[in-house]
Formats: sequence, C-alpha cells, structure tokens
Amino acid sequence: MGRMSILVSPELCIGCRGCQTACKEWNQLSGVKTENRGSTENPPDLTPNTFNKIRYVELPSETNMVRWLFVSQRCMHCGDAGCMKICPAPGALFRTDEGAVAFDKDKCVGCKLCVTSCPFNVPRYDEKNKISKCHLCAERIANRLEPACTKTCPTGALRFGERDALLGLAQKAGYAKVYGQADLEGLGAMYAFMDAPKIYGMNENPAIPESVVFWDNVLRPLAYLGLAGAVAASLVHYVAFGPKKIEEGKKDE
Amino acid sequence: MSNNMIKKAGGFEILNHWVLAISFFILAISGFGFLFHLEQVGSAFGGFNQMRDIHNWSGVVFAVSLFLTMFKYLTVALNFSADDMAWLGKAGGYFSKKAQMPPQDELNAGQKLLYIVVLLLGIAISVTGVIMWLRPEMADVNKWVLFSFLVHNIASDIFVIAIPIHIYLATLANPGTLRIMISGTVPVEWARKRHAKWVQKLGY
Ligand code: HEM
Ligand code: SF4
Ligand code: SF4
Ligand code: SF4
Repeated sequence: MGRMSILVSPELCIGCRGCQTACKEWNQLSGVKTENRGSTENPPDLTPNTFNKIRYVELPSETNMVRWLFVSQRCMHCGDAGCMKICPAPGALFRTDEGAVAFDKDKCVGCKLCVTSCPFNVPRYDEKNKISKCHLCAERIANRLEPACTKTCPTGALRFGERDALLGLAQKAGYAKVYGQADLEGLGAMYAFMDAPKIYGMNENPAIPESVVFWDNVLRPLAYLGLAGAVAASLVHYVAFGPKKIEEGKKDE
Repeated sequence: MSNNMIKKAGGFEILNHWVLAISFFILAISGFGFLFHLEQVGSAFGGFNQMRDIHNWSGVVFAVSLFLTMFKYLTVALNFSADDMAWLGKAGGYFSKKAQMPPQDELNAGQKLLYIVVLLLGIAISVTGVIMWLRPEMADVNKWVLFSFLVHNIASDIFVIAIPIHIYLATLANPGTLRIMISGTVPVEWARKRHAKWVQKLGY
C-alpha cells in the first residue's frame, strides 16, 4: 500500500461534526465539558480527548453576509514530522506502513518535547502525561478500513485514500494547489483551499522550528563526534608528547 | 600527614567531586541514550521511562554538587593573574617537551578555566533542564522550552568534549594528580613544581 492520506475540502463541509463524534466513538474518548462562547465551534481547541475538530471561521463580507468556513483540524501526519524528530523515546512515536504518525503510550516518557516541535500545535497530553493525538486510525487503516472520521463524513469533505490518487482528485476538482502537497515532505492531511491558507487559520509555510533542525543536523552529531574527538585527541597527545615532565629546579622561584 | 606531604583537597571536596563525576556520567550516558535512541542503554536503566526520572534526578544531584564546589574553587578560579595569562599563552606547556611555566596558584590557569567553564555550563544545563522538566506555567512556554532544549544541547556538547580532556589531564597527562581526588595529599616537591605560588603562600 502506498502512502495513505486524508483530503480535506472545506467547501464541501457543512459543519455537522460527525467526524468529531465518530473519532470519539472509535477511540473511546470521553466528552469534554465546555462552555458557550458564542460560536458553534466546540470544543475551542484540540484536547487529549479530542483528536479532531472543525474550526469555524466566519468571514462576513458585502457580497456574502454568511461566508462560513469549516476546517477539519487534526494531526497532519507530516512526511518530515517535527514530533518524531525531537522525541527522545524510541518507539513512542512511529511511522506506520501506511504513512501515519502513530504513538505508543507505554513508550512515551511524557517529556512533551513533541509539543514544542510540532508545526501545527497538535500533540496533547492525557492525565498520565502521555501523548494523545490523531493516529490516522492506524489500526483501522492497517486492516484496509478507512478512518472513522472520513467514513462518517456525509459530504465528501473528508476523503481517505492513496495520497497520489487524492491529489489527482483535487486537481480534477479544479484545485491547482493543494495545501500540504509538498510542505514538510508532504502532509498526510491535505487541504483543498479556495483561498489563502491563512484565511482558514492555517500557517502559510509550516516548518519545524529552526532550532530543532539545527539540533538535529549539528548538535546531535556533534555529541558523539565531539566526545570521540576529545578522547582521540587525548590519546594522540599522549603518544606525541607523553605525560608532562617538569624539570627539576627550573620551575621553582 | 607526613612532613613532606601537603593537603590539596579535604574529605568533603573529594566526596563531592565523585558525586559530581558519577552524576555527570549517569547524565551523559542516559543523555546519549535519549539522543541516539540507544535501546541497550534504555534497558540498562530499566526502560526509557525510568531513565527519564533517573536523568532528571541525577541532574538535581549534579546541580547541588556543583553548587557545593563553589566554596572551595570559585574565589581561586576567578583570581586570574598575569602569570595565568602567560600560562595559557604557552598552552600550559602541554605542547613542548621541556615545560618552563610561570608559577601557578592552587589551581593552574587551565584548571581555573575548566572550573569557570564547568560552572557556567553547569548552571545553564541545570536551569534549562528544569524548564523542560517542569514546563512552568507562563506565556510562550513552548518558546522557552525550545530555547532551553537548544541551550541544554549546546552545553552538553561542550561538556562531553571538555570532560574527557579534564579526565586525561587529571590522570595520564599529569601523573600524580589523581591522588588529589583519592587521598587529597601530594608531595610538597610535586606541588612546588606545579603550584609554586600556593606552596609558597602556605609557607613550605
Ligand atoms: C573519572 C573522572 C574524573 C577524574 C579522574 C577527575 C580527576 C580530578 C582531579 C584529580 C582533580 C584535582 C585537580 C587539582 O586539584 O589539581 C579534579 C578537579 C576537578 N574536577 Fe574532576 N575528575 C573526573 C571527572 C570530573 C567530572 C565529570 C567533572 C564535572 C562535570 C569534574 C569537575 C572537576 C572540577 C570542576 C575540578 C576543579 C577544577 C580543576 O581542578 O580543574 N571532574 N578532577
Ligand atoms: S502535525 Fe504535529 S504531531 Fe502530527 S505528525 Fe506533524 S509534527 Fe507530528
Ligand atoms: S512526550 Fe512522549 S511522544 Fe512526546 S516527545 Fe516526549 S516521549 Fe516522545
Ligand atoms: S483519523 Fe481516526 S484518530 Fe484521526 S481524527 Fe479521524 S477518527 Fe480520529
């Protein structure tokens, strides 16, 4: 199976939030108590029990008094994932054969570094400080089922399939540019936006923090190169110069 | 202590030095385990979850131990003289066969430098470690954690370069030095050649 992805088409979304419910049902996530904030958007953000949600963007204009944008938010299953890069615990975050970024709570050490390194502010923490986020329904898709959220979506606003096929689909529907097509070695959740991404509340150029990239490319290799170099230099010095000899009488004044 | 021996480190300094060194090794080994996902290191610590706790608490031990070094070493290390500059100018005599070096204090210029580097890096690595560990409630906590992550890693890189060199200089490169951290005493003649100003001050 090639890399699997979700294609999000906000223009087709009616804001029913069936995907939110389906995700909770499949993943057995309890409800989150919220309050009326004057919007149907609810809850206001991802939580440890909310792997996906619909962001509501109201854009009233003179020509269109009620332009509403509904944007499905979730883990993007980045091709180059900041969370995986920084994670110190092997196996806590891992890539499945289908290209999902899944996690293993037993292996997560609860350091929360992935939060700081995710370009999309996705990872959340449960009450035991273990990572909690969308895993692209890793177990379902490994068994050739589609994720709960896309399966539930009644309008085709969420579509699941082979990444290349989804890109072709979007192109055919008239979207020359798909958000996430090339960013971060391709996102596993792509968006067919009609407007600039920032109108939908998305970062125009998502990127892993520069300091994390610098650490990965320079500081991490320097740890063993530096250690090995220091040990080697000491040995070379010992062979070349030997132990320090201070000549009798010359030193003391 | 016999007449021709001189005390260079007391029991407290010796004990504290080994607490510092052992906590450092635990930190460095577990840190490498995290950095390179070394499964064997993880199992040796009883799994990565437990390794995280051990790493963090060893950091606390390291920080306290480092704080305690200040009583003996800080004033000596901060007192940089013209002789020290000259010593550093000659790279401590480590690259010439017959060393003829300016007279040194209780710590030579290289040791002073090492102490200051270890102290500054130690403070940086401890503070940033605590920030990543506790993620204090504050605005932009992610930015602080990212910054801490960067500083923590820069400091650890310098540590794993500096400490092997320190160990080499304290053992193979300078025979007789290691006993300072075992018995605490050295022969007066040995000390006179290396720490002339200090020996003179003590009146030997
Ligand atoms: C097997 C490992 C080590 C050995 C054999 C060793 C040996 C020594 C010795 C013999 C001294 C006394 C030097 C003198 O008073 O003239 C010393 C001092 C010192 N050690 Fe270590 N050490 C080791 C590891 C470490 C580690 C891991 C650290 C810190 C992270 C450290 C930090 C210091 C400091 C700050 C001093 C005082 C300044 C100086 O003498 O340079 N040592 N060490
Ligand atoms: S969106 Fe964030 S959590 Fe998801 S794969 Fe990318 S970096 Fe990781
Ligand atoms: S919190 Fe867990 S998943 Fe996130 S970086 Fe730390 S160990 Fe990895
Ligand atoms: S893919 Fe699965 S885990 Fe992710 S949001 Fe959809 S239902 Fe939830």
